[in-house]
Amino acid sequence: MRKIAIVGSPNVGKSVIFNNLTGTYADVSNYPGTTVEVYRGKCKIGGEEFEVIDTPGMYSLLPISEEEKVGRSILLAESPCVILHVVDAKNLARMLMMTLQLLEAGMPVILVLNIFDEAEGLGIDIDLDKLAKELNIPAVKTVGTTGAGMDILRGKIEEHVKRFC
Amino acid sequence: MLKDFVKNIGYDDPLEIYLSKLEKLLGSEYGISKRAVSLLLLQEDEEIFELVKKNEGDKIGVISAIIREANSHYSNPLSYIISERRQGEASRITNSVMSVKEKGLFNFKETLSRLMMNPFIGGPILLAVMYYGLYKFVGNFGAGVLVDFIEKRIFDAHINPFMVDLVNRYLPYELLRDLLAGQYGIITLGARYAFAIILPIVATFFFAFAIIEDTGYLPRLAMLIDQLFKKIGLSGRAVIPLVLGLGCSTMATMVTRTLPTKRERIIATLLLSLAIPCSAQMGVILALLQNKPLGLLIWLGVIIGVFLFVGYLASKIMPGELPSFYMEIPPLRLPQLSNILRKTGSRLKWYLFEVLPLFIFASVLIWLGQITGVFGFLVKALEHPVRWIGLPAQSSVAFLFGFFRRDYGAAGLYDLKTAGLLSGNQLVVACVTLTLFLPCVAQLLMNIKERGIGVGIIMSTFILFFSFSVGYFVNLVLILSGINL
Repeated sequence: MRKIAIVGSPNVGKSVIFNNLTGTYADVSNYPGTTVEVYRGKCKIGGEEFEVIDTPGMYSLLPISEEEKVGRSILLAESPCVILHVVDAKNLARMLMMTLQLLEAGMPVILVLNIFDEAEGLGIDIDLDKLAKELNIPAVKTVGTTGAGMDILRGKIEEHVKRFC
Repeated sequence: MLKDFVKNIGYDDPLEIYLSKLEKLLGSEYGISKRAVSLLLLQEDEEIFELVKKNEGDKIGVISAIIREANSHYSNPLSYIISERRQGEASRITNSVMSVKEKGLFNFKETLSRLMMNPFIGGPILLAVMYYGLYKFVGNFGAGVLVDFIEKRIFDAHINPFMVDLVNRYLPYELLRDLLAGQYGIITLGARYAFAIILPIVATFFFAFAIIEDTGYLPRLAMLIDQLFKKIGLSGRAVIPLVLGLGCSTMATMVTRTLPTKRERIIATLLLSLAIPCSAQMGVILALLQNKPLGLLIWLGVIIGVFLFVGYLASKIMPGELPSFYMEIPPLRLPQLSNILRKTGSRLKWYLFEVLPLFIFASVLIWLGQITGVFGFLVKALEHPVRWIGLPAQSSVAFLFGFFRRDYGAAGLYDLKTAGLLSGNQLVVACVTLTLFLPCVAQLLMNIKERGIGVGIIMSTFILFFSFSVGYFVNLVLILSGINL
């Protein structure tokens, strides 16, 4: 079974995206570090079944704490065919540093700009097409808690798998 | 496949030269691009270095030399140089794709957030959260109203008489009758403790706690307490595992993984085992000390005192770097009812799956112990330390229960109190001792799993003696000062 790994900084809503994709429940809270272990679930996209892996938050590929190491070792050891880099759309500049690292490492990344409702509330607008072109990867806007953008994300995953896996 | 995605940002010259030298030297596959491996090597990532050493054999000498040479070229650490370059690129991209419309409105969330972290106003806010969230909702409503209703109206009035009757009628063996519906029977004691006493308390606690969690209050609490925590050698980051411990110390011990240093993890684990009462236990204690506000204050004062004292001592005994504190402060959010309910439900399920087998197991064990006489022997043996701290001999049963789970022990005390066997002073002493007392079996196992068997056993032995000693002193002080609660 092909694998989809969800990575990103703490408290950007990785587990909400995981719950949305798999329909199972991983604990979700409003503080960093709720997920300290790896959660696995299954989801079906475009008729194919995938294993979805929710990882503890990490700030970069250079880990500081124990639980950050867990995420990296999954990327290294399990070679997922899609990596969803979930970021907080409000803090794009800081979040993109890790996207760049993932791309340097040659990872098959889809960028997920989550919590987009809060970004809009702050008056932030992001040109999605331009961002996708700049990074040369697919990018999606989502609001995990309402499920907005999840269908587009599934579509991007399907497309991505057809082209590269 | 990897090649499709590699996007390189260029670094400046000497760095690029060292990078390409390293890339050429790397012969095996790492699951990530060689450029990324080389970058991690230059930033002195130990795990990657070990991996490369294993895979590249003899070449590691040359590789180390290149890393050293590259580092000597720069006055700042290479991790800093590399992050700076990435940051520059990330900002460039962000500026080209993002636009912000200024919203100059008064920001209510921002103001509330600041107040929560303000040392003068944050304190009263914390007290209000504790009073209404814990004392009123969990203590009065959960441990008072709900427990009363389920225990008296459902168990005492219907289930227990029905089961006793059923068992008497259809089970001809006295021994089996005892196992199911005797004084310590699976149904009359195990199920009653689990469903009538612990469940309503834990359910109300998990519900209140889920709301607090989802608003984003905890990281602000961490900022508020950071200064105080620094004095006992912990960073504000440790607030989250410790506050989670008020829910379930076993889960919280796992969360100590988010702490950056081993030293902090050990101190936090010790404090979780010793001085942080879990939700079930706290609920029963609130119920025990109901109508005794002074008793509750003394209990709280002693526990906080022990927390600070032991934390301070531990950080003196285990010297180490003062932790630096950096934490993401998420925005304040209105919790979603669906997530609150789902989270409460999933934790309750977890809790019941964990607790019910243990309660049943305890009933079986006690039953076996009664048949063989071991139970009586242990109760007798425990009577000495229990008397020593001024409690009636009957309470040794509750402490024996406490070995299985502290909440089980606390529920035992609750039974004694209902029977009118404990005076005010004795209640306070019993609550203090049982709060500090050995963690439940599940947490003991978690301590061993996370911190290793040596640390786990030393901690438990220390806690065993320490809890009774504190109980002894509290009793002594109460007697000497002539306080009668």
